[in-house]
Order: sequence, then structure tokens, then C-alpha cells
Amino acid sequence: MSELLVKNAYVIDPINHIDGEVMDIAVKDGYIVEDVGPKAEVIDAGGCLTLPGGVDSHTHVCGTKVNFGRYMSPEDMRAGREVRRGVKHATSGYSVPTTYANSYRYALMGYTTLLEGAMAPLEARHTHEEFSATPLQDMMANTLFDGNWGVMKAVAEGDIERVAAIVGWTLSAVKGFGIKLTNPGGTEAWGYGKDLRCIKDEVPHFGVSPAEIIEAMIRACEMLRLPHSVHLHCNNLGTPGNYACTIGTFNLVPDLNKTRQSLYATHVQFHSYGGSDWKTFCSKAEPVAYTVNNLPQIVIDMGQVMFGKTTTMTADGPMEFNLYRLHHNKWSNHDVELETGSGIIPVLYRKKNLVNSIMWSIGLELALLVKDPWRCLLTTDNPNGAPFVKYPEIIALLMSKKYRDAEFATVNRRTESRVILPSLEREMDWNEIAVMTRAGQAKALGITGIGKGHLGIGAEADIAVYPLKVGEIDPAQEYQKIIDGFSKTRWTVKRGRPVARDGEILVHGENTTIWVDPKISPAHDMSRDPEFTEMFNHWYSVRMSNYPVQDEYLKRNLRMETEATI
Amino acid sequence: MMRIVLTMKPRTNPHVPIEAEKINPAFLMWGTDDLTVWEGNKERRLDEVFEVEVEGKATSVNEVEVVLRGDTSRVKRVGEYMDGGKITVEGDVGMHCGNFMAAGTIEVMGDAGGWFAREMRGGTITCHGNVGHYCAAGYRGEKKGMRGGKVEVFGNAGDFTAEHLFGGEVVVHGNCGDMPGVDMQGGYLTIHGNCARPCGNMTKGKCTVLGCVSGMIPTFKTEGEVEGPDGLPLTHFTGDVANRGKGNLLVRHYQYLD
Repeated sequence: MSELLVKNAYVIDPINHIDGEVMDIAVKDGYIVEDVGPKAEVIDAGGCLTLPGGVDSHTHVCGTKVNFGRYMSPEDMRAGREVRRGVKHATSGYSVPTTYANSYRYALMGYTTLLEGAMAPLEARHTHEEFSATPLQDMMANTLFDGNWGVMKAVAEGDIERVAAIVGWTLSAVKGFGIKLTNPGGTEAWGYGKDLRCIKDEVPHFGVSPAEIIEAMIRACEMLRLPHSVHLHCNNLGTPGNYACTIGTFNLVPDLNKTRQSLYATHVQFHSYGGSDWKTFCSKAEPVAYTVNNLPQIVIDMGQVMFGKTTTMTADGPMEFNLYRLHHNKWSNHDVELETGSGIIPVLYRKKNLVNSIMWSIGLELALLVKDPWRCLLTTDNPNGAPFVKYPEIIALLMSKKYRDAEFATVNRRTESRVILPSLEREMDWNEIAVMTRAGQAKALGITGIGKGHLGIGAEADIAVYPLKVGEIDPAQEYQKIIDGFSKTRWTVKRGRPVARDGEILVHGENTTIWVDPKISPAHDMSRDPEFTEMFNHWYSVRMSNYPVQDEYLKRNLRMETEATI
Repeated sequence: MMRIVLTMKPRTNPHVPIEAEKINPAFLMWGTDDLTVWEGNKERRLDEVFEVEVEGKATSVNEVEVVLRGDTSRVKRVGEYMDGGKITVEGDVGMHCGNFMAAGTIEVMGDAGGWFAREMRGGTITCHGNVGHYCAAGYRGEKKGMRGGKVEVFGNAGDFTAEHLFGGEVVVHGNCGDMPGVDMQGGYLTIHGNCARPCGNMTKGKCTVLGCVSGMIPTFKTEGEVEGPDGLPLTHFTGDVANRGKGNLLVRHYQYLD
């Protein structure tokens, strides 16, 4: 029986429509309750900004490709070194730090729930092992289906129920959370030496197009009643002129769910490029944001690029190969049999570089042009656009036109003719930032029901108290205070327990792995389907019985069972 | 002038390495009382490990001379981030001597361990004996290694000498091991003795081998004969062609792998 009382909190809780009310938050046994007894531990928030614990709906912190980023960049481990102290493990690394470093740094910024953006099903065990070494955040893993042979074959046959059955079986086998499509079909096509330019091209040997895969997966996702929608990394990432492909993809999306979006399009910054080559490269954030504004079934995240060193990692193998040819630096690619691929290269985004400066502008433009903050979430696609420690700077950029102008004056001067950022006057308020960093993310992920992203009665007691006095700060002018304030919480409370205080980690926690187990009728049980088991036994290098992730890999976990309609 | 003589005391287990990045004129000129070194996993005061003698006073780091005596072959990171003054090691020195050195002089009378003068920025570092692997190299994974200054080795050097060399000058009077100057992007590397497979993946810079190269890399283009030091005829190569490189490799004798 643990009780905690957070007193004098200036609360912003968008899901419960609380916008700046000074109140006390009572916590009992990890959940928010009406009231606690007199013996409860008391934290005095002192009128500081208090938000629900942060949720990152797209980050890469665990799994094989993250770990390969660590192998590849020993020089990255020279930064961020800290010795073991108290409950803390030793840490190192900047763009791909150790799991503990990720966890501590997120906790200091008030983040309590993370979604690993891409888990190859065959390599799920590694992801879950790293989850168990990420002590202070609840973890989820989106599962990659972009080049899944079984799925593509079923799509080609037009059998959506079978698509759903395969997805459902795989999700519960690998303990995944949602569907991730990364350059659907494109990575598989590249395995045959072909390249898909857009959604209508055909994947060789499978006779399907990305458009068909995306649509079938959206429908399958609804059939399985998954909490999160399809999480899409569009085709043709990072090429000039790809905005047309992005808009084409968005227009395909049917509106199938009343409670949330039908498609979560990730790092849209990388998909909003105009021009026909790198010389004519420019921003097309405006038409993309316009499309998003008109399609309520779509939620996007920014994928903001920030200047500095980082490591890009994605299941989009061909894109990484193209980047490698551009940078001529280190490069790694990886093929996951029958499922997907991945690529990793280190990148340095430079202010001097015109393309990088335009990329930086596009992310901000998207966030400012999408009218509804619930539908444009704040991410960097950590660490692809920038390591997540840059979030406070992005918040300040969104809140202060003055800061944007000051930064814009330092980037490549030719950027001005290619972007519209200087003309955007919008300055976000505290509530909008709270939506973009927690409430909106939790809603898009469909986890508000399990008590994430809000501070209502019965919600999980994940609370972040920032050293920011909302009434006394003018964010438009004092942007440095915003950056400092969001970088380090006064208190981070995870499941009712203070885990960080003024930049110190207080406990060695244990996370919860959230996974989804769709309940499918026996008629659609893929483990008994002769054709599927035959494909599995014939082509995979592991047996079907060895494929599922055993329960030992999950310590504390939350199984979300859904009633599938098949 | 300030002269600091550090004499190694007898140790119960002389194999335990000592991490001594504090042996640097910039720290020693302010007194030795607060300085510590790590012996294995134990933190020790400097005077627990060394007899410390200090003569004179210094007003700037350039007036400091440090002398190391005794069995210092296990003392690592001597002169790390050194930015002035002089260090003389009378015997051998351990790994990572002169890491990131920016200015000043280090002279090693005996042998030096691996990673000698790693990622050096400036100054002069000399070893009269042999040095280990990765002499004047970069760090693992980093694109740019040594950027300036001068490294001179009178004995032999190990493998990967001057890996990722970006600037400055490296002279080895003896032989080098395998793959000297690999990934070179600038600077000068001179090897008076023999070596194997030099300069793979080089893009820029100049490497001269006055001895014999074994396992010459086939992706270098022959440009003709030039006159080297003392009128020696050298063969001039450019490359590494496989890396779109524009480096120069001058070789006295060479032999391709069969």
C-alpha cells in the first residue's frame, strides 16, 4: 500500500479538459484516486507545471537494429559517459546510447511510456530483452509487416480475413503492439534488385502494390480491433518530390474508426519534399498539412530534424543505401528473412547544408500548419531526425516565433526561398504542447483506456512536474527557460513512485511491456493453417514452434486482449 | 622553470595498469597534492605510487618539465590532452601516451604501448624504442584521426600505424606492421623500413615507404618514377582507386600478393 500526494500542482490534462488548474493529485497503489490518507508521502509541486507522463509514440530505443547502430558507431559511445552511481547503471552514448542511458534520459524529461517503432518479428526476442533493461518506461513494440510474404500473398489473393489472421497470429506470437509498415513492399522489392518509386508500382514476384498492402492492412487492423492504427512509414522516403506520393497515400485511407485515426503516418517531414532533384529541393509541407487537415482519419508525427550528429536507422533498406551513396560514410544493411529488412548509417545534419536546413524547416512547418495538435505529434523519430534529448528545443521552437527566427538566421541563407517557415506566426501554448507530447500520443496509440496520457481518476499515476511557473513565463520571449524546464523535471512519477527528482534517478524500476493479443476464431488460427505452416516450414530458418517469444522474455507485462471480428 | 620528477615506487603487483591522465604539465604545475591515479580499480594519491620531487616554480605550462622514472611500462594515458610543457619518460610507457595532445613535447626513451599519440592535434612526440599497434591512429569508428603535430618513432611500429591520418606528420624509422596509413585523408607518413599493405582506402595525403612493401594493394594506379630523399628512386602510386582516392603513395620496392 503506497500513497502519494502531489500538492499544489498546476495541472494541464488535455484529455480531461483541465487547462491550468492548481490542484492536488492523490495516488494510491500506482493509480490516481480521489483522496489519500494523512500518512501519504507528499510532494510539493509548488505551483509548477504538472503534466501526465510523456508518451513517445515513435522512437527507436531497443532491438536488433538499434543494437547494430551501437556496434557500428563505437565513437558515439564516447559521449554521454557516466559512472555507475547509486541505483544507476553506468551509461554511455549519444545518438544510440545504452538502454539504461535511454531510460534515464527519457525519465529526466518526464517520459514514462515509449513505443519502439519497428520490431522485426523474427528478432522480437532481442527487443524484449532490451525492454527488460529499460527500467523506467512502459514499452510497446510495433511489429513490421511491410515485406511479410504471407501477408503479401494474402493481399494478392484479395483475402483480407487471411491478412488479419496472419497479423493477429504474428502479433500474439512475438508480443507486439501494433502494425508497422515501413516502405511497404519496397524493401522486399529491393531484395530482388528492384525499386518501388511510389504506391502503384508492383512488388516483383508478389503481384501486389504498396497501395494494396496499405489498404488491406488498414482493414485488417480494424478487423482485429487493435488499439493502435496502422503505423505507416510511406514509400519513397527522403527523395525530392516525394510529397505527391505521400498525399496519394493519405488519400487512399478509409475512415473506419470513430474513436481514433485509421492511419498513423510517421516522420512526415521526410515525406514532404518538393523539387525534382537535390538542386531544386524545397518544402512541400503546405500541401501535405492541407491534406492532413482535411482527412480526420490521419494522424501524423513530425519527424523533426535537429542539427548535429545522429544515427539513422530504419527498416527501409533501399533508402539507407541511397543515403549511403550520398554520404559515402559507414553503412549497414540487413535482411530479415520473409519479413523485412533494415539499414543504418550515421548522419551529421549541418546548418551550413541547404538540404539539412530545409529538412529542419519542414518539420516545424508541418507542426505549425496542422491546425489540430491532436493530429500532429512531436517526435524526432529518435534517433533518425535527432536524438530525443532535443525535444525541449523543439518545444521551444514551436512556442516561440522569436526563437525560430533566431535559429533561422543561423541556417543556410538560401533556405529562405525554399520554405515558408519565416512567414508562420503561430506560437503554440502550453496546452497544445501537452497534447503533442502526451495526450495526443496516448490517444493515437489507443492507450488512454489503460490509463495512459491523462491524470483522471483511475489513470496510471505517471506524472511529470516541470520547474516551470506557467503564469510567470512568457514562452514567446523566454525560450531558454522553456528548454531548461522541459529538459529536467522536478519530479517524474512512474506508477505512483517518484523515479527522478531534479535530474537525479531515484529508483531502479521495472517496466511494463504492453502487448496485444487479438482473439481470433479457431477457423482463422494460422498455426493450424496447412498452407501457412507449409510456407513457414519451407522458407523460415526456424521452426514454427520455436518462433513465438516465450513468456520468460516478458517480465511485468500487460496483455491487451481484443475481440477480433474474424 | 619547474621540474617534476616522478619515480615509480616498488609495487606489489607491477602488472596492474595505472591510469594516469593526470600526469600532464597542466595539472602538475598547480601542485601534486590533490592529484590521483587509478591503479586497477583503486584510486591512489599520486605520491602513493610515485616518489614526487618538485624543483622550482612555473608561471605557465610551457615552463614545466616532467620526468618519469622507474618501471612505467604499465602507466597509461601519460600526457593525455597535453597542451604545453615537456614530458620525458626515461623508460617504457604504457598505452595511450599523448592522446589528444595539442602542444608541447613528449619524449619516450624506451618503448611505448599501443595507441601512441592517438588523435593527436599538435606538438611533438618522440619514441626512441618501438611502439605498439595503432600508433598515431584515430579512435575506433571515428572518421578523422590525428590532425596535426609530429610523431617520430625510432624503432618499429605495430599494425595500423597512422590509421585515419588527417593531418600532421608521422615518421617511423624502423619497420611498420600491417596496414599503415589505412583510411588516410591527409598528412604525411614516412616509413624508413618495411611494411605490409599500406594505405588501403586512402583518399588524400602522402605516404613514403623507403623499404619494401609486401602485399602491395592492387587498387593503386602507377604514375611513374620519382626521386625520393637522398636521390632514391621511388615508384609513385595514386589511390586508393577503390575509394575514389587522390592520395600519393611512394614506394622503394614493392611486391604484389601472388
